[in-house]
Amino acid sequence: MNKQLKKRYAADLRFRIYGMSAVAMSLLFLLLLFVSIIGKGYTAFQQTALLLDVYIDSETIDPEGTRDRAVLSSADFGAVIKQAMQKIFPEVSDRRDKRALYRLVSSGAEFKLRDQVLAHPEQIGKTLPIWVPADGDVDMLMKGSIARDASETDRPLKDKQIAWIDHLISEGRLKKQWNTTFFSAGDSRDPELAGIGGALAGSLLTLFVTLLLSFPIGVAAAVYLERFAPRNRWTDLIEVNINNLAAVPSIVFGLLGLAVFINLFGLPRSAPIVGGLVLSLMTLPTIIIAGRASLKSVPPSIYEAALAIGASQMQAVMHHVLPMAMPGIMTGTIIGMARALGETAPLLMIGMVAFIVDIPGGIFDSSTVLPVQIFLWADSPERGFMERTAAAIMVLLLFLIVMNATAVILRKRFEGHR
Amino acid sequence: MKKEEHIMGKIEPAIPFPNSRFVHQQTLKRGRAIRSDQIAGQEIQETVGEIRLDDPRLSCRDVSVFYGDKQALRGINLDIGRHEVFAMIGPSGCGKSTFLRCFNRMNDTISNCRVTGTIMMDGRDINHNETDPVSLRVRVGMVFQKPNPFPKSIWENVAFGPRIHHLAKTKEGLHEIVVKSLQQAGLWDEVKDRLHQAGLGLSGGQQQRLCIARTIAIHPEVILMDEPCSALDPIATGKIEELINTLRKDYTICIVTHSMQQASRISDRTAYFHLGNLVEVGETKKIFINPLHPLTEDYITGRLG
Ligand SMILES: Nc1ncnc2c1ncn2[C@@H]1O[C@H](COP(=O)(O)OP(=O)(O)OP(=O)(O)O)[C@@H](O)[C@H]1O
Ligand SMILES: [Mg+2]
Repeated sequence: MNKQLKKRYAADLRFRIYGMSAVAMSLLFLLLLFVSIIGKGYTAFQQTALLLDVYIDSETIDPEGTRDRAVLSSADFGAVIKQAMQKIFPEVSDRRDKRALYRLVSSGAEFKLRDQVLAHPEQIGKTLPIWVPADGDVDMLMKGSIARDASETDRPLKDKQIAWIDHLISEGRLKKQWNTTFFSAGDSRDPELAGIGGALAGSLLTLFVTLLLSFPIGVAAAVYLERFAPRNRWTDLIEVNINNLAAVPSIVFGLLGLAVFINLFGLPRSAPIVGGLVLSLMTLPTIIIAGRASLKSVPPSIYEAALAIGASQMQAVMHHVLPMAMPGIMTGTIIGMARALGETAPLLMIGMVAFIVDIPGGIFDSSTVLPVQIFLWADSPERGFMERTAAAIMVLLLFLIVMNATAVILRKRFEGHR
Repeated sequence: MKKEEHIMGKIEPAIPFPNSRFVHQQTLKRGRAIRSDQIAGQEIQETVGEIRLDDPRLSCRDVSVFYGDKQALRGINLDIGRHEVFAMIGPSGCGKSTFLRCFNRMNDTISNCRVTGTIMMDGRDINHNETDPVSLRVRVGMVFQKPNPFPKSIWENVAFGPRIHHLAKTKEGLHEIVVKSLQQAGLWDEVKDRLHQAGLGLSGGQQQRLCIARTIAIHPEVILMDEPCSALDPIATGKIEELINTLRKDYTICIVTHSMQQASRISDRTAYFHLGNLVEVGETKKIFINPLHPLTEDYITGRLG
């Protein structure tokens, strides 16, 4: 008797140890993931900027003095930037050296200057200090991603360039700043100019379309199938099909979207509307299945109670059963939306993988989405894109956490009186 | 057609059940000799006792209920009077709940359930095509075995019915109905300070009275109660019984109970069911003091069920 008791306790203990080690293990992996991603990506939130004293030469940018916007916007601000660089390093005269010097400034500098001048045309003819983005390689050197002691041929920056950079640092002209470009800009070929702004907007628009379509349709379908539909061969068939649909590989939905929405309906390629439609097809079964399960789990006594005081079937479902099932439906929806947010393959099929610089303004504009952006950057050879990939993953994860938190809050509110 | 079905469903009775009083006594004597488990498998043809009333609220004729192929009730004939507390007793599975659910057509919600025969309420067939089950359920309220308040506030629980039936034009009117119903259900003093707290936060007995308040808020004519006290302690049960006592003058109450004491305390008439048959109906006093049928006697003396 005693022996058996001991054995039972030992078994209990063993089981608890298994469980705890499983949990510890998964937490460890999660921690590892976070550490590695944050370790790689946190540097992307800072960006090296270069302070230039730019003389905005009206001879160069507006020789006729018209101050016409069209003239100004096509003016050669690159030359102005180059003049400013030349002023800091007057001793550089060789053409090859000059080119190497100018390469320290990002190509984005002239656009920044142009925007500033367009906004304040009165500054023409003056010298003004302006922070412009430094080249990606300078940025990498500042962040220590390029080793100074490697041999000259093994690093993208030559010895001379490093000497110039050191000079700029000593003058206080190179500084790491909070990287607003990363959040506001669209994609770019230059890592220092690339941002997730476009992808983020694309993701939001796509998810918006997905939610708008799949949630009402999914909930309505779940309610109908669970509460109103007669049980016969047809509803059985529909049920089997919905379950199968949930298991269809997502790329198939992409092909379907390409064939139906783009080729047949003529919707624009790479647009969030098509992405949203495709992802809705994918999310619908998840929502319907989760919705039915949570409708089923509502105690029938509540439904009967409502019927017994003369509520119609519709009233009983809408006033009592559906609100009680809502938390479960929300959970299902969030799981579906999270899957949709992280989905890449079907969006590749409908052209959301294109290189898009502009930030989409609506659901019919070309755009890309976060995971596809990550996929694109992960493929790029530049070191600057590596940290941006990790940073974009961080943003994606943050996005998911925010979504889940919203779900929890919504659930809490619905549970109110429970 | 229905009649035929009913007759064909019967097997030749092993025990004859003559109708006159005199022979009843004989049967009774003979019944005592027969062990109840022998009787259990037998068919009972005629209901003993006074099944008909002069001016009934509810009147059932040959009511049979089938779950798929399985027959749960066999040709029930019964009248239930106005302002009467009518108790139904019988062993578990004999069809009391099924019978009760016929009156507000809750059996409609069970897909394989089929009801035959006629049930007249105030002279109108409730199973008629033109009778809307929803409006029927406004007239025939129901209280369930397990308290089942909505997961909402106490106030919302009571207000739901009057609101969907537009019984009040203003919010004040609605509140008045809520207050009155809670008062009638004897719950007002206990909840008046927490009307907007969750109904599920009440004790079991309070929840059950809340369910009764919810039912009477829509002014039904009949209240069906399916073992309303089975989940409650004696004190809460006492309160509910008191409540039934006060409700009897305004409503017809049909109550299913497993407690013989409860039936004898609160009901005017009692019906004893056995394996889908209505065995005996009569005034409660008579049934408990002098049952006519051997099965009834076995049950109330505790030899059966
Ligand atoms: N939904 C259903 N489907 C199939 N059979 C059912 C269903 N509900 C009840 N029955 C059957 O009908 C018969 C009568 O059931 P009912 O619930 O009316 O009994 P009861 O007298 O209320 O019993 P209890 O005292 O235990 O509540 C039982 O044999 C039961 O198995
Ligand atoms: Mg029952």
